[in-house]
Amino acid sequence: MIYGCIVAFQASAMAVDCTGQFAVLAGRKVMTLVDLDNPTDRVTKLTRQSKFDISCVQWHPYPVCGDLFATACNQRLDLFSWTSYGNINQKCSMRGHSRTVSDLDWSPFDVNIIASCSVDSYTHLWDIRDPKKPSNSFQTVAGASQVKWNKVTNNLFATTHEGDVRLWDPRKGSSPLQYIAAHLSKIHGLDWSPDSETNFATSSQDGTVKFWDTSNPRQSKGVITSGSPVWRARYTPFGHGLITAVVPQLRRGENSLYLWNLENYVAPVHQFVGHQDVILEFEWRKQAEGLKDYHLVTWSKDQSLRIWKIDQHLQKLCGQDVGEISDSSESDSTSLPYETNGSSPPTNQEMDFQRQMSASPEVYPGQKPRTLEQEFLMVNVAIDNVRVDELDVSTRTCKVTGMIGNNSLKLVISFPNHYPIHGVPFFEFTDILVDNNVMLRLLKVLKDTANRHARRNCLEPLLRQFSTTLDSLSFQTEERITPDTENLPAFSPFYLPYSRGDLPFVKFGSRLDSHIPFPRTSGARFCSAGYLVTFGRSKEAQKGSDYTPKAMSDLNSLVQKNKMRPHQTVPFNFAAYSRSPPTAQPDITIATYYYKSGPKKNRASGKRYSADVREAETKKPNIAPVKIYDSSRLLALHKILGEHYIINQSDISTMCKHNTSVAATVGRKDLVQLWSLVALTADKRLQSSDDPDEGPPWGRHPFGRNLMQSLMEYYIKLRDVQTLAMLCCVFWNGQELMAPPPPKPQQSISVEYSTPPNYNPYHTVSSMSNLVKGLQTLPVANKLADIVSLLSPPLSEVSSHPNLPELIQPTNQGVMKLKRSNSYSGFEIDTIDNDFKLEEDEEDVKERQEQLDKTAHENYCRMLDPVDKNKYDEYLRCYANILDCWGLKNQSREVMKFVSNAPPEHRGIEFSVYCYKCSQPVRGSQCLSCKYPAFNCAICHLGVKGLSNFCLACGHGGHTAHLTEWFKRENECPTGCGCQCLKAKIHISLQ
Amino acid sequence: MVSVINSIDTAHEDMIHDAQLDYYGTKLATCSSDKTIKIFDVKDGQQTLINELQGHDGPVWQLAWAHPMFGNLIASCSYDRKVIIWKETNGTWGKLYEYTNHDSSVNSVIFAPQEFGLVLACGSSDGSISIISSSGDGSWTAKKINNAHSIGCNAVSFAPYVSPGALLDPYNKQTPVKRIVSGGCDNLVKIWREEEGEWKEEKKLEGHSDWVRDVAWAPSIGLPRSTIASCSQDFRVIIWTNDGTGNDWSHKILHKFNDVVWHLSWSITGNILACSGGDNKVSLWKETLEGQWVCISDVNKGQGQVTDKSISS
Repeated sequence: MIYGCIVAFQASAMAVDCTGQFAVLAGRKVMTLVDLDNPTDRVTKLTRQSKFDISCVQWHPYPVCGDLFATACNQRLDLFSWTSYGNINQKCSMRGHSRTVSDLDWSPFDVNIIASCSVDSYTHLWDIRDPKKPSNSFQTVAGASQVKWNKVTNNLFATTHEGDVRLWDPRKGSSPLQYIAAHLSKIHGLDWSPDSETNFATSSQDGTVKFWDTSNPRQSKGVITSGSPVWRARYTPFGHGLITAVVPQLRRGENSLYLWNLENYVAPVHQFVGHQDVILEFEWRKQAEGLKDYHLVTWSKDQSLRIWKIDQHLQKLCGQDVGEISDSSESDSTSLPYETNGSSPPTNQEMDFQRQMSASPEVYPGQKPRTLEQEFLMVNVAIDNVRVDELDVSTRTCKVTGMIGNNSLKLVISFPNHYPIHGVPFFEFTDILVDNNVMLRLLKVLKDTANRHARRNCLEPLLRQFSTTLDSLSFQTEERITPDTENLPAFSPFYLPYSRGDLPFVKFGSRLDSHIPFPRTSGARFCSAGYLVTFGRSKEAQKGSDYTPKAMSDLNSLVQKNKMRPHQTVPFNFAAYSRSPPTAQPDITIATYYYKSGPKKNRASGKRYSADVREAETKKPNIAPVKIYDSSRLLALHKILGEHYIINQSDISTMCKHNTSVAATVGRKDLVQLWSLVALTADKRLQSSDDPDEGPPWGRHPFGRNLMQSLMEYYIKLRDVQTLAMLCCVFWNGQELMAPPPPKPQQSISVEYSTPPNYNPYHTVSSMSNLVKGLQTLPVANKLADIVSLLSPPLSEVSSHPNLPELIQPTNQGVMKLKRSNSYSGFEIDTIDNDFKLEEDEEDVKERQEQLDKTAHENYCRMLDPVDKNKYDEYLRCYANILDCWGLKNQSREVMKFVSNAPPEHRGIEFSVYCYKCSQPVRGSQCLSCKYPAFNCAICHLGVKGLSNFCLACGHGGHTAHLTEWFKRENECPTGCGCQCLKAKIHISLQ
Repeated sequence: MVSVINSIDTAHEDMIHDAQLDYYGTKLATCSSDKTIKIFDVKDGQQTLINELQGHDGPVWQLAWAHPMFGNLIASCSYDRKVIIWKETNGTWGKLYEYTNHDSSVNSVIFAPQEFGLVLACGSSDGSISIISSSGDGSWTAKKINNAHSIGCNAVSFAPYVSPGALLDPYNKQTPVKRIVSGGCDNLVKIWREEEGEWKEEKKLEGHSDWVRDVAWAPSIGLPRSTIASCSQDFRVIIWTNDGTGNDWSHKILHKFNDVVWHLSWSITGNILACSGGDNKVSLWKETLEGQWVCISDVNKGQGQVTDKSISS
């Protein structure tokens, strides 16, 4: 499909004229006019003197003014015309911009109008009849990079400003019609759809092409994602196609154009390979009369102009209806008019017309053949025991050296002209150091492989096969690890076509590396309990720049700038994701950023030295060993203490004595003192009596709770969890804490029963939360159990109800309110029994008050304030976790014993009963709607309130006592339903 | 104060990006640009290579060990846009789950406190954060916070587990709240909270002037105060604190370094912060009794030396 290629010129911009016959190549020193039909001998040049490059050039789109083209050079626009060959005249200059003109575009509707935009933030419209000043100007805040007229409707053009697009109507004055935030990064190119006035495509630095509909500018219609910034994206004049040109980072890597079918944003339909450098510009030639093919003219930084024929096959891939595909495409290479000129000597010194091999695209399902050149570029040459010595496109040969044991074997693979479509490669061994049998066997294997891959590219399979065969023939017994194909990188271009049956398309598919932070190459991590793990670069590794790069994409330029050569230069490695760095340049790894600084040797010592260094580098990257430090002393944690501390609340003095000596062994003098102190304050003789009337308990003494409190505060600041938790283990036992928080002594306590006259269920909800707030530190269930037990014996059975919160559900009846001054306001409980009525009882109140006083006293006896209960639990948990990390499981569980248990969540099966009277589902024992006990005993026919059993099979049951009695004698259900309840064997006790 | 107890030559072919010990400190996992993860037995000073995990197609950026109650699990994230969870069964390691729902490099992965179950979070350069949870029967569900950080998310860290009814949410909340802090290329640190299964942005912390490279939520030892450390391309490390009563975070610049700071790690008791960055150095910072942050030592890894600055007393 490559039509031709011209190497010439110092041109930075290119444009094709409206007839499609000529192209102008504009450079700093010369402007060249090329006849595209005869690229070798029809050339007109105009030398110019300027220190500025021409940033863009465009031919007039109408044949009426077909001799005109405009160029933008620095701040100026120039208009040229050419009258006959050899004559290019400058017609006029248009000056108006104050900074470099970034783009220009002829109006497709008015022959006299040209638009230009510049980084000076102005977009000007010029009337070429009056070039002195712009006919119209539009200002924006940001400079513009592209200006493009709509191709369908007049008076509409778009400009791009960094990541935004603005649409303008010159009649509507200075403000844009629309504003579209299209990309996060700079937009490089914009192209209007050739057949729809509302659609356009933008290509951006962020590696995407987005499609927009101006009627719905909020969201793009579609996105093509590329691995590299997209320089241009232009619609094809046929079908629903799009051509994209990418900017490989650092202009290395892939310099291809991609052809897309807009029905499929995932993978392109074709790739144009050939340019050696970035493609600067591409344009379509006007389709010649009678010809079905389209021609794409590309100009690359490699200073070559190529013409690509887009034949009907490719057009069809883009959705163009081409009807019956004529066979003429087969012979395209011979139908080219200048084909015969190919061999003639170039007429111009600067010009070199090269014939390129071309293969007509025969499309195979699932796999597309590539030209030999492409195949050579893509082949993965890193194959075990096979070395690729030479890949020569011109002679169509590949030279390979294989290792068989210690012997080497040279193989030349030559590819016939029509390979891969017709013909298989030939094989020839040149340097034979192995016996004939081996050689014949190898030949056979290779031929078989080639035949198997007939009509497909087979170089890489051949090399693989060659390698494995050599391996199996190897006389050495040494075990060779053959590369496991499963583990080979899926992104490696080679594996894709064969494993997934797809074109290897590695560039598109990932987002930009500029968003990915430059990876850490050193770090430190606290792990487990007290270990610090560090990793990093070796001491010799120097950074490639003064500052550390920010993003992955910076890596490339830095490496380049420092002219550091990657250690392994694989000539044709095309993988975008080669080893590590996902940069456009395949063989840079993150390690390449760091170089060895070793002792400077005399440079004159020459090649040998550098070879040694390189070898050393490849063998040993700049990685320092991973180090593990013990930092537990920094953290005030001692494994020895954890292991040897004992916990024994029943004999605190022994415990303290032991722990004092343990603390002494690790040299923690403060802990020695602490344990002695603890022994003193926790002395048995200081144990307070149970009677509150015998004076304030020891806990209220300055050396009691206050002392502990200040000790705790100190160790909290030190974050010495070990000591904190041990203090809790001495003075705290979460398990036995079942009492309410101590009320303030002055507060009087009263319990009041009442049924609120206008009862409001929401009130209950709020009082419930108040309750929880008031209790704050205690799990609700414990609390309830506690309060309930305080209340009265008839309620005690409630406490054993499995679903305690159920009981707090609001009803209009039997609401009991318990009020305790201001600590919490209301507390309602649904009484269980219908007939249970609460009555005021003076004596009860007194009794209860005494009881509360007593618990308050008990609380004061504690050395640690129960208010901070949750903190203690956290210290204990944290310390238990550390012990666990140390592998001290017994000690860990020992500590966990002191954590006050939160009520376990209900897990498992829950049964609900349908009320036998009203058939409502009931949870609990009483039906909420009819107030009768919901579950009826099958034997005595009375409601069951206490223990009950029922059969899971038939659902019948009753009082446990009755059923036990019944089933002593019977097997069947007492209701007579016929169920063999005992055989069903599933009985579950329900309270 | 800090002593080397083991030094392991990992023989990775390219730069190492993370190294972590397991819960018990007996196994070391390292990951590298050479696309592999290596696991070493380092118990009692050993350094035996147990396994080499291959499966990523790009450099592996970060690792995370799960709590041993879930078995020996490692999560790894890579440039290849994947998160892989590896599991050891009878001494052999294999892939347990592969999460491929990110569109760009996954830069950070971390397991949630074990009380929440087997849950992990990962942040990607596609700007999103995924929270992946195991239902226990081998299936995994993922919640994605899309566009958590425009341009890209560089780091995620889970808040420590706080038992219900305790410190941070003494009232109302019966179930503990999952929180995540994340940092990204929008120079922001963001705090996310799970509410009825959905992740919502709770707070946006502005303070850095360049990409936030790492965030670390300090472990809690039972204090109501929450602390988060963040480091950035702007060479600064910031300590964010919340007193546990509201949603206000105050910040203090720990230090301005001479190069990018890209990694932070809190000690298990949350009092020492290890900072490391582009200069290949590690410094340890500690809060004094007066609440000031001081550098207590530099661990110069190149030489394997530790220079104590202030801890001689």
